[in-house]
Amino acid sequence: MSRFLKRTVLFIIVAACLLASVIFVPNYIVSKKSKFNIQPGSKIVLFGHSHPECAFNDSLIANFKNLSHSAEPYFYTYQKVKKVLSQNPEIEIVLVEFSNNQIDEKMNDWTWGYKYMSSMFPLYSSFMDKSDIDLLIKHNPKDFMNCMSISTRKNLFRLVTRNYNFSDAMGGYLRIDKLRNNTSDAANGPADKATGNTTPAISTVNIDYLQKIISYCEAQHKRVFLVRSPQHKNYEFLKNEKDFVRIRTTRFSRIDFLDFNNFPLNDDDFADYAHLNYQGATKFSKWFNTMVGSGLLMNKNKQAFIDQSVSNYKAGSM
Amino acid sequence: MLFNSFSFAVFLPIVFILYWFVANKNLKYQNFLLLCASYYFYACWDWRFLFLLIFSTVLDYFTGIKMCETENPRKRKFWFWLSVSINVGFLGIFKYYNFFAASFADAASNLGMHVSPWTLKVILPVGISFYTFHGLSYVIDIYKKRIKAERNFIDYSFFVSFFPLLVAGPIERATHLLPQIKKERTFDYLKAVDGLRQILWGFFKKAVIADQCSEYANMIFANSSTYSGSTLILGAIFFTFQIYCDFSGYSDMALGIARLFGIELLRNFAFPYFSRDIAEFWRRWHISLSSWFRDYLYIPLGGSKGGTWMKVRNVLIIFLVSGFWHGANWTFIVWGLLNALFILPSVIFNTNRNNLEIVAKGKSLPSIKEFLQMVLTFALVVFAWIFFRANNLKHALSYIDRIFSRSTFSIPRLDVSKFELTSTILLIIVFLIIEWNGRENQYAIATLGRFKRKSYRMAFYFSLILTIYLFMGREQQFIYFQF
Repeated sequence: MSRFLKRTVLFIIVAACLLASVIFVPNYIVSKKSKFNIQPGSKIVLFGHSHPECAFNDSLIANFKNLSHSAEPYFYTYQKVKKVLSQNPEIEIVLVEFSNNQIDEKMNDWTWGYKYMSSMFPLYSSFMDKSDIDLLIKHNPKDFMNCMSISTRKNLFRLVTRNYNFSDAMGGYLRIDKLRNNTSDAANGPADKATGNTTPAISTVNIDYLQKIISYCEAQHKRVFLVRSPQHKNYEFLKNEKDFVRIRTTRFSRIDFLDFNNFPLNDDDFADYAHLNYQGATKFSKWFNTMVGSGLLMNKNKQAFIDQSVSNYKAGSM
Repeated sequence: MLFNSFSFAVFLPIVFILYWFVANKNLKYQNFLLLCASYYFYACWDWRFLFLLIFSTVLDYFTGIKMCETENPRKRKFWFWLSVSINVGFLGIFKYYNFFAASFADAASNLGMHVSPWTLKVILPVGISFYTFHGLSYVIDIYKKRIKAERNFIDYSFFVSFFPLLVAGPIERATHLLPQIKKERTFDYLKAVDGLRQILWGFFKKAVIADQCSEYANMIFANSSTYSGSTLILGAIFFTFQIYCDFSGYSDMALGIARLFGIELLRNFAFPYFSRDIAEFWRRWHISLSSWFRDYLYIPLGGSKGGTWMKVRNVLIIFLVSGFWHGANWTFIVWGLLNALFILPSVIFNTNRNNLEIVAKGKSLPSIKEFLQMVLTFALVVFAWIFFRANNLKHALSYIDRIFSRSTFSIPRLDVSKFELTSTILLIIVFLIIEWNGRENQYAIATLGRFKRKSYRMAFYFSLILTIYLFMGREQQFIYFQF
């Protein structure tokens, strides 16, 4: 009996060491050798989820790199920001998307729900702190093991292929050619601004990680701005506008907020209520490029400058 | 509490240590400890159903004693039918009531009558089909005077509720398990190691093959109308491996866990996908259920002793009941019927016992004839599984309709990473090779213990653990828990 126990314990210890080495050695190598280089000359970078990913066509904006990624909550953006800023010292300005759905509790599912965690975690697991890992384990221990396994597999694959380049996976402008379809939008549900009888829950975790991103950027002596990309007036998450404004003015009042929500676009400039299509992105990006060129980011009263330009643009386009 | 969960990984060592260190050398304590552990294990699913389990146990225990105490046939019959009707009644209410109510309403509406079915919002108690069958076999055996009633309530309750077999079998017999419960058990090093080895193999089957295959099978079955026929065939094959590795993996873990406590459970699977005909397949698939139906239904109905029509009738009954046992859905009934149709020719022409031994025994490869027989049998099994997996009959028929279309001759396409898909297919191939090499044993890697070189054994075990870690799919509930 004691022989069985001793041998079983020894077997478990050896197996645990083996597993630990398979997990941590590739993880360490990937974290050291990973490359997050962006094209030279990019002084402004943009992080966020699918809204900016579809809105900012960086080929039309000077010295600008769009690093947004669909369904990316701030938890994973934070990991990306750390690596991108540390490996690209020429970056001077960081724009971070801050829009209505990013305060919604749906962001929790984007952070630790299996569907999202299994695709995002393997990408950034090598760069996470213990507190980040603990957060995922705390909220979804069951799926965490599976995501760890996928992550180790991907790290081993990187080791074998000697491919430590993350540039292709970290996001970029996404071109959508389709026009908005009323049927599909109806399924998403337009904003219920009239009744306003729902009180959406807030994702404190996502907001905390936005704070972490800002703190990290400031520690790296980068200028940070919050940005809201254009959204359709019927976009369902506009119903939490009150909460959105409250959080922005209480938690992030020191940070300049560039609100492009009122940028004039037609229905056929949208792919759906939340995303611009290629036509809309082209209009918006060209305008944004002129704005940056006109000194938007240096201006003292940025929102007034934006509103004035929007009025001029409206007048010009009509 | 799933066998492949963290909570079970804590539960099992605690019970094991208490069993061998604290209750050691005292059979009463050992049985009581395992009974308490089993009730705790069951209560972790839903503590409310523990009362149902205890009620069923008490009922069979007392009716068993009552039957033994009297020689009066009428009284024996009364106690027997009391137990059977209450047991089957519970099963009927929890598992089949809504099905019958809805089917009745459907049939009435087809006749132009509007009937609103009064359905119950009941949750199916986990393992009810399994422990009901345990109890039924015990009561039937007593009624038939094959065994005597067990007088020790703890021992009887332990027989019904032993946690490794409680929720998904194997369906044990009193003649097999009760004598082991009554016998003093001492720790056997080799048995315990063999138990661990079988648990590891079962875990590999479940976590790697079944859970990986389930992701693809679920994806394909959920969107079957959008895939080509060839992709649908791939989906059916993935489900074929999923259900085998899920259920046989569970059974391997159950057998291995029981062996850690010095108890041998009935074997449930014997490499069914290497069968050369459907009759052989059913001798190798879910053996404890097939043999239960054979002994308590098929033989009492007359078995294969009567004329051809009687054989046909009995085969149809046993497979329909078997299908219905799996669940209250027409898909299971059609699945059972389909298997009956596959097996009938061999029953009619008395060729159903042609292949009693494992294929290519003592050889490394099968003959071409054997190989073709295996492929044909496998194809029939895959076809039948489509009904088992589909959401309803309409879904199954449209799935099959797409398989028999031109698109079957196209290359299968799935919107997943090629690396992931290829690695799953490679893992299935490696798994089949290991199963083939170990097909003459109780389970595929049973003979590994006979390897003289310890280093080879250890290398294999560690590779298996590494493979489990690297390729485990998302943790899924065992399929047979729903039955």
